[in-house]
Amino acid sequence: MVQILILLVGLLLYAVYGSAGLAGLIWLLAAALIIWLAGLALLRCRWLFWPLIVVSAAPLVLMRLQPVTGFSLLAPLGVSYFTLQMISYVVDVRKEKYPPEKSFLTFALYLTYFPHLIQGSIESFDHMKTALAEQEFSWDGLSAGAIRMVWGAFKMLMISVRASVVLATISASPEEYCGAYALFAMILYSVRLYADFSGCMDIVLGVSQVLGLRLSENFDAPYYSQTVAEFWRRWHMTLGTWLRNYIYIPLGGNRKGKLRKVINLIITFLVSGFWHGFHYILWGLFNGIFVALGNGLRTKFKAFNRLLTFLIISVLWSFFIWPDTFTALGSIGSLFTTFNYGALAANILSLGLGAADWIVFLCATVLLWVYDGNKERFKNVFTGSAPAMRLAVVGALGLLALVFGMYGIGFEAEQFIYSSF
Amino acid sequence: MKKHTRIKTGISVVLVLAVFLGLFAFATRLLEPKYAETLTEGSMISQYYEEAGGHEVIFVGDCEVYANFSPMELYRQVGITAYVRGTPQQLIWQSYYVLKETFRYEIPKVAVLNVNSMRYSEPVSEAYNRLTIDRMRWSEEKVEIIKASMTEEENFWSYVFPILRYHSRFDELTSEDIEYLLHDEYSTFNGYQMNKEVRPVDTLPTERMLADYTFEDIDYDYLDRIRELCEENGVTLVLVKAPSVYPYWYDEYDAQIEDYAEEYGLDFYNFLDVVEEIGIDYTTDTYDEGLHLNLSGGTKLSTYFVQILSEKYDLTNYQTDEKVSAIYDEKLAQYDAAAAE
Repeated sequence: MVQILILLVGLLLYAVYGSAGLAGLIWLLAAALIIWLAGLALLRCRWLFWPLIVVSAAPLVLMRLQPVTGFSLLAPLGVSYFTLQMISYVVDVRKEKYPPEKSFLTFALYLTYFPHLIQGSIESFDHMKTALAEQEFSWDGLSAGAIRMVWGAFKMLMISVRASVVLATISASPEEYCGAYALFAMILYSVRLYADFSGCMDIVLGVSQVLGLRLSENFDAPYYSQTVAEFWRRWHMTLGTWLRNYIYIPLGGNRKGKLRKVINLIITFLVSGFWHGFHYILWGLFNGIFVALGNGLRTKFKAFNRLLTFLIISVLWSFFIWPDTFTALGSIGSLFTTFNYGALAANILSLGLGAADWIVFLCATVLLWVYDGNKERFKNVFTGSAPAMRLAVVGALGLLALVFGMYGIGFEAEQFIYSSF
Repeated sequence: MKKHTRIKTGISVVLVLAVFLGLFAFATRLLEPKYAETLTEGSMISQYYEEAGGHEVIFVGDCEVYANFSPMELYRQVGITAYVRGTPQQLIWQSYYVLKETFRYEIPKVAVLNVNSMRYSEPVSEAYNRLTIDRMRWSEEKVEIIKASMTEEENFWSYVFPILRYHSRFDELTSEDIEYLLHDEYSTFNGYQMNKEVRPVDTLPTERMLADYTFEDIDYDYLDRIRELCEENGVTLVLVKAPSVYPYWYDEYDAQIEDYAEEYGLDFYNFLDVVEEIGIDYTTDTYDEGLHLNLSGGTKLSTYFVQILSEKYDLTNYQTDEKVSAIYDEKLAQYDAAAAE
């Protein structure tokens, strides 16, 4: 009964808020029905495997190739996420990791669970099925979920939206804002993307906790990583897991020698880049190279390793800040040719945020940093504490976000950055 | 869980809730504009609640009523008790809901509507909406006035929880926000905003030609509602157009109001036609180059209008009423002191 309710509410929200409306909903349900029916027949008709993979991946591939082919396709909300989930289901059933699902309701809920259609997480079917089977409402889940949702909103309203104001100024004039400005934008984008994406995930996971569902985590304090490889194990973890299970390992993983491992890693990250969009292939390539380098850049100084990893990742986010590859490369190039740090320092208050906003931004970012570094300790306090304590946490975070958050007239409700992928 | 532990938990939850509700209320009060020293027009609507009751004439309309008609002069001259429920850029539907709300508190003998608002058929700006609506008490009328007035960018919930609108003032707080944190300050005299400055007319704004001078259906709809509301409550509705040198009240507008007044047997006084008779001198009687009248001009207009009111509408002279005159004498003393400052 609860599952039906979650499914129906999700479908309704999808039809209302999904970018393609009712058409998108029909597409989503049709895809779910085709994959579910084919999944039931897959073990007897093994030839269905590749056609199903092609059918599952085709819409996303066509969309991503749009800059090259010019062929545009109306993108329903979450297509990137349910495509990967459909592929994982087909592959897992084919490999007999678990039997095909007999209940269409359970399968449809797996694909259409509304909260994670926005920015993930990308769940495997068996994990989602277990979560659904173990679903139960509890006060603990309710309070922990509420804290998590408020924390997510806090990160978005206090950090992400503020950073977006400055980023909009800088990214609009790449020629004017190069060198130090470009580096500043890259660092700011790192903070913004993390606050936004992880904030959204907190809301998704918080809603799920309230509903009594335990979904996969997507972040594990990624900016504490000491290498780029480690970063990708702690950032968008469910995508990383998917890429490992369905691209990297099938390619041979690290089982066929060092050279093949490097090639496999680079191919995996190229796929990741392509999944984000055609423009991001180069970003995927660079990440693949840095991941392949492994511990090559690691020193014995933890703080230095973290800083270096953060800077590498930040510079690579350039492809997300600037809308075309050449501008992104030009901005990266300007880091080595333009040294206008004095101008940046002098103009920092003319980039869209006043002094008070910068103070709020910095305080909230430090709080996020401290939280990430002491996550387990915080979690234990929240989940093990008395109801009044939990309520106080929700109240304090909520009140801070309400007063110091950036929203309302003049600030359009920000679309989650990652929902466009 | 043992019973006493449950009780302890319950009490602590309630206490935490109470603390946060208190903090929420405090933050809201701190952050919302106080309308005490700056933008005092925002507190006009709530000043009325302190003084509601006992008024035989109620004015509704935009700045042309609260800047031009002085109830103190009406009382001083013939003992009429009046209140101006005007607010900046008060639109016709806002006048309707303000009047309807007023009738919850008192039923006057005469309601005076300044028809300047018939020129507008759409919400004008959020800022003006806020000045009229923010301080209204919660009632059915407030809900309706919000719904009718919101611009596209506005959100109903930001009226219910003003912190959603004013939270960004955290870095703009001034000593006014602290000084008036716990109490309100009002600056009008029965809704009349006194302004003694003199800024004579320098250059007249040019008249703008319109493609169509017909009032919109929505304006007539609310004018009908105001008329019906007055009829239902036995209140005489009087239509007026206050004087101004700005040439934005066209003959075509005037003709439509005259037709309407004639059709429903209403009185309509266009003071633009009798500026000389009133004695208004735009070199001395305006504080903003002819858009509004200053104290001197307002006194002249009120003196003129009080004759009409006293002759035609059977209003009581409260100067002989001990209780009322005690209140009004005190108000008049404050009014005269402010005028003499």
